[in-house]
Amino acid sequence: MIQQVKGTLSQVWPKFHRHRHNAHLHPFHTFNDYWRLWTISICILVGTALIPLFIVTLIHYQLIQKSVDNELELRAERLTATTKSAVSFFMQERLDALMFTVREAGYRRLSSHRQLNEILMNMKLGFGGLLDLSVIDADGDQIAYAGPYNLEGKNYANQPWFSESLKKRYFVSEVFTGYREVPHIIIAVSSKKEDGTGFILRATLDTERLIQKLASYKTGGHADIFLVNREGVLQTPSVRFGPIFSKTGLDVASVDQHVIVEFNATPDGRADILFGRTAISTNLTDTPFVLVVQKEKQRMMHIWLKLRRSINWTVGVCVFLIVVVVTMASTLMANKLYELDNAKAATMLQMEQSQQLASIGQLAAGVAHEINNPLAVISETAGYIKDLFEYTDGPADRDEVVDNIDEILAAVSRCGTITKQLLGFVRRFDIRIRKIYLEKMVDDVLSFHKKEAEYKRIAVTVSMPDDLPPMETDSGKLQQVLVNLINNAFQAVDEDGCLTIRASMPEKEQVEVVIEDTGCGIPEENLERIQEPFFSTKQEKSGTGLGLSITYSLVKKLGGKIFVQSTEGVGTSFTIRLPMKLNQRGAA
Amino acid sequence: MKHIDVLIIDDEEKFAAMLSKRIMLRGFSSDICHDGGQALEWVADPDNRATLILLDLQLPDMYGTNVLTEIKKIDPAVPVIILTGHGTEKDREECSRLGAYRFVHKPIQIDDIVAVLGEIGEAKSQ
Repeated sequence: MIQQVKGTLSQVWPKFHRHRHNAHLHPFHTFNDYWRLWTISICILVGTALIPLFIVTLIHYQLIQKSVDNELELRAERLTATTKSAVSFFMQERLDALMFTVREAGYRRLSSHRQLNEILMNMKLGFGGLLDLSVIDADGDQIAYAGPYNLEGKNYANQPWFSESLKKRYFVSEVFTGYREVPHIIIAVSSKKEDGTGFILRATLDTERLIQKLASYKTGGHADIFLVNREGVLQTPSVRFGPIFSKTGLDVASVDQHVIVEFNATPDGRADILFGRTAISTNLTDTPFVLVVQKEKQRMMHIWLKLRRSINWTVGVCVFLIVVVVTMASTLMANKLYELDNAKAATMLQMEQSQQLASIGQLAAGVAHEINNPLAVISETAGYIKDLFEYTDGPADRDEVVDNIDEILAAVSRCGTITKQLLGFVRRFDIRIRKIYLEKMVDDVLSFHKKEAEYKRIAVTVSMPDDLPPMETDSGKLQQVLVNLINNAFQAVDEDGCLTIRASMPEKEQVEVVIEDTGCGIPEENLERIQEPFFSTKQEKSGTGLGLSITYSLVKKLGGKIFVQSTEGVGTSFTIRLPMKLNQRGAA
Repeated sequence: MKHIDVLIIDDEEKFAAMLSKRIMLRGFSSDICHDGGQALEWVADPDNRATLILLDLQLPDMYGTNVLTEIKKIDPAVPVIILTGHGTEKDREECSRLGAYRFVHKPIQIDDIVAVLGEIGEAKSQ
């Protein structure tokens, strides 16, 4: 079980965190920074997965918010309308009752104190909501009064409501304290006596009952329902603005009978108060009241808030899962890449080594030929001297024997020169930075092709500036590059062809070597592929397809650049540009 | 009419001279050519006949296999031993296809050549 978990974890754990730089393998790696690769992969995948998720969530949020707002607006509108009709009806009912009483009873009966009391009693029994009744004549004198306050004999000529009531037939006042010094509303109906002078039947509305009626519409305690006058002064208590007669600062001067609902900003700037307004009026007359309904949005939003919380949780869990899965997938991918890249680099390194061996082998064949010829001379000359003893009576001519022995010695020294040359050549294949004379190295490489050049009558031209300073570079790698390119040139050139090797110093501290042949050339479609490993056009199996690929990587290791130009049937020229001094770090 | 036993075709003058002398010490006749052109001229001459030809692959003017092809055109019956410093496997196959008698790497044993001459003599007498 623990083993299984460990195995799974190792798959999704970045393996490259223990990656050590290896100077031999490094040039063959396709990727250098696996951490960066890993991070970029995670970022791209997480971004691709999360951005649409966030966009959809945001759209969802806005849609829900909008529909919740609409719903809230609708509810506030309904509440305002319902409350308005209830308050209007309350006023209307009482105005109707007063009008009925005036018409039915007439001034004579109303001016009788006893009868007025009787009417008030009946009204209270019938529908209530009235505190007192009084009859006032055209001069403002109170003629009769029925009710709890002793206000008989008062004159109302100076009261603003009095003149207003006389002008209009029906009148509803604002809340005011008046003589009794408690807030009240009066409603009044004016009529004519038999002698043609006017009088007023006035009633005091039970404001408590009005307040209770308003309060009965406050559902769930979120709403603040109150009446204000046109100046915005409270006519009933408000949760938000305080007791009666407080100033609200609301601008309601232009409010008409239509119900208007809108979002308003709270003093702290948040648009989360629903504000419904409408003017209260009856069939008979307008009233000075404006009904205001205020709902705090936040308090009505708990369903939406709950929904939002669950959306947030779901999105959060999704984000977490996506990040985990993406991280695991990216790690898996980066691990695989890392492993493959490592394996590739190791293979390439091995290939480079075997290619090096192969090119040494190729040289060895040339060397064998060079050595076998003098060996054959030695063998035949020595055999001849022996023959002189076996087939004749011994050498007749002493000088002939000495001459033949000299021939043997000359052939032996020829062999010695060649083996020395080969040894020196092979020794240079080890990886060390040393002083190199480019011309000498080119000559050495060419010397192994001397016979081939002779047989195929290839004109080999080497031109180097006389003042070319020695290079300080990795001799093995440079030699391998030259061997590969010169071998290729020899293979490409037919009889009577030309091979030109030129060196120059286009810049200080830089040498340019051009190896040009008049061989078969490389078709254009292959030109871009020649540096690919295992790309070969050699029909017979002599080519591994690694020569040029390794040459390219070697030049890179030497801190240089390689270019190729080729025309099919005309020839190929390889140009390598190398620094005169190899920076050790650059070589790594 | 010049009838010799061994024709040596090799550009290595010293080697050819020594080999020729040793063959003659053993009682056979021999002649030397130093390049392909010369050799083909020798073979094409109706007065000349060789029992055995020793042919080097690397000649200054032409490649040994081409010389072999030409010799076989003129005289298909003559046995040709290929003598080479470093002939490849490919060369060996090519020469065998072209009808070479043997393919031998330098240096060679003179006794082998004598033995071959004996074989050829026996084959003719049978």
